Amino acid sequence: MTVAFFLNEKTPYVGDTSNVLLDWLIIIGGFTLLLGVVSILRVSAQAIQRKKEGWPFKIATIASVLVMAIPSLLPVSWSPLFGRFEGSIYDWVFVNLQAPMMATMFATLAFYIASAAFRAFRARTAEATLLLLTATIVMFWRVPIGEAFLNLFPGDLPYFINKFIMNGANLAVQRGIIIGAALGAAALSLRIILGIERTYMGRG
Amino acid sequence: MSFWKKFNDMDRRWVYLMVAVTVIIPFLIPMKFPVSVSPEARNFFNAVDSLPDSSVVMLVFDYYPSTIAECEPMAIAGAYHLFKKHCKIITLSNIPYGGPSMAESVTRRIAAELGKEYGKDFVNLGYKYGYVSVLKGMGVSIESIFPTDNRGTPLSELPLMNTVKNYEQVKFVFEIADNATADYWVSIVNAGYGVPMGVGCTAVMAPKFYAFYGAGQIVGLLGGMKGAAEYEILLEKPGTAFRGMDIQSLVHFLIIGLVIMGNIGYFVTKRGKRKTL
Repeated sequence: MTVAFFLNEKTPYVGDTSNVLLDWLIIIGGFTLLLGVVSILRVSAQAIQRKKEGWPFKIATIASVLVMAIPSLLPVSWSPLFGRFEGSIYDWVFVNLQAPMMATMFATLAFYIASAAFRAFRARTAEATLLLLTATIVMFWRVPIGEAFLNLFPGDLPYFINKFIMNGANLAVQRGIIIGAALGAAALSLRIILGIERTYMGRG
Repeated sequence: MSFWKKFNDMDRRWVYLMVAVTVIIPFLIPMKFPVSVSPEARNFFNAVDSLPDSSVVMLVFDYYPSTIAECEPMAIAGAYHLFKKHCKIITLSNIPYGGPSMAESVTRRIAAELGKEYGKDFVNLGYKYGYVSVLKGMGVSIESIFPTDNRGTPLSELPLMNTVKNYEQVKFVFEIADNATADYWVSIVNAGYGVPMGVGCTAVMAPKFYAFYGAGQIVGLLGGMKGAAEYEILLEKPGTAFRGMDIQSLVHFLIIGLVIMGNIGYFVTKRGKRKTL
């Protein structure tokens, strides 16, 4: 597959072999999802049986998995409540419970970030001051009222931030991180392929 | 105890209350702050706008319901723009958690508004496990990866999919993501097959995508709710992102105010301690 990545799919043998492997990858991946469902049901059932700490939550986990999974897997021809489309149990639970709950969890971050920024953002050192100033300027720039405020100063500050902070310093640092991470991943893959790295198998 | 000491030791629940009030006020009294458009959003819009009529575009829903506030306005604006231009939309998702449902609800709502027909003007392929395999496999044959659409209809029965076999027929990828799948669209679909693409992502992800934008691998970038609001402005159809900018503006100002006050308090109390020594 690595060879096929750099070649055209129409290359004899390479393209066909790569496609067969891709199909296998998807099939195996499908089974891993099933394994995940079975695993969470098993672990939760065991916790309930042994009355482990927080076991009532495990009942909620099992109930949630079953309520979402069973009606969505049953054929729509039996009832419009089955399947995964508008009017089904799955869709109703997703739209009215799951999506709002997930969005709420994410939205609470705003409260924690405000509190954490207030407590942790202190100009204790030169580096911290630089970070604090940059963060403040970018936060101003990212919202309309802040941009209007920046425009009160001489020079085109919003343009400067876009050009020299986001498309300048930020871009350079992000490239460094992306290239560094890619080289690290390639090196680790090589170590695994060559049998040098065995910690993933529980060996040193 | 001095005012600054008290301020710095303020219970965090007061901060939570201030954030809550700041969020609620713009809901009740819309302020409609003017939103300026960044070059990244303008380039994205222009790239979509310059597509020939009836072009096939992939609109990708790679976001979880948790980031619906930031990502869905982009999806709505994107679908509206593409349908208005009579483009043919293929939606799909590389995340198992609700992506196909969100694609279904957004496209069908806008299609009904603009009189578009499922199967002819748009198709929802749904979700398939393994984004690397899916993205690579679609380069050879979309049908081999998605034999049926999200509702189980064979692709051969959908008129749109009879003309689209792989990326060769796809003119643009409109990727909306809140996770690393967007990187793979860039490295596999853009780099491997040369399909032009634009990325709409959450605000925290946006700094990373400036690297791809700078390299010309993506033609445009929509960062967070501001990016979505910019697209809505360009589309002359202000929606939820535009309204959300009022809230985001005030919350940003509150946080900046708290940080500045916190730092003043820090230095004042530090100087006070030095004097007492």
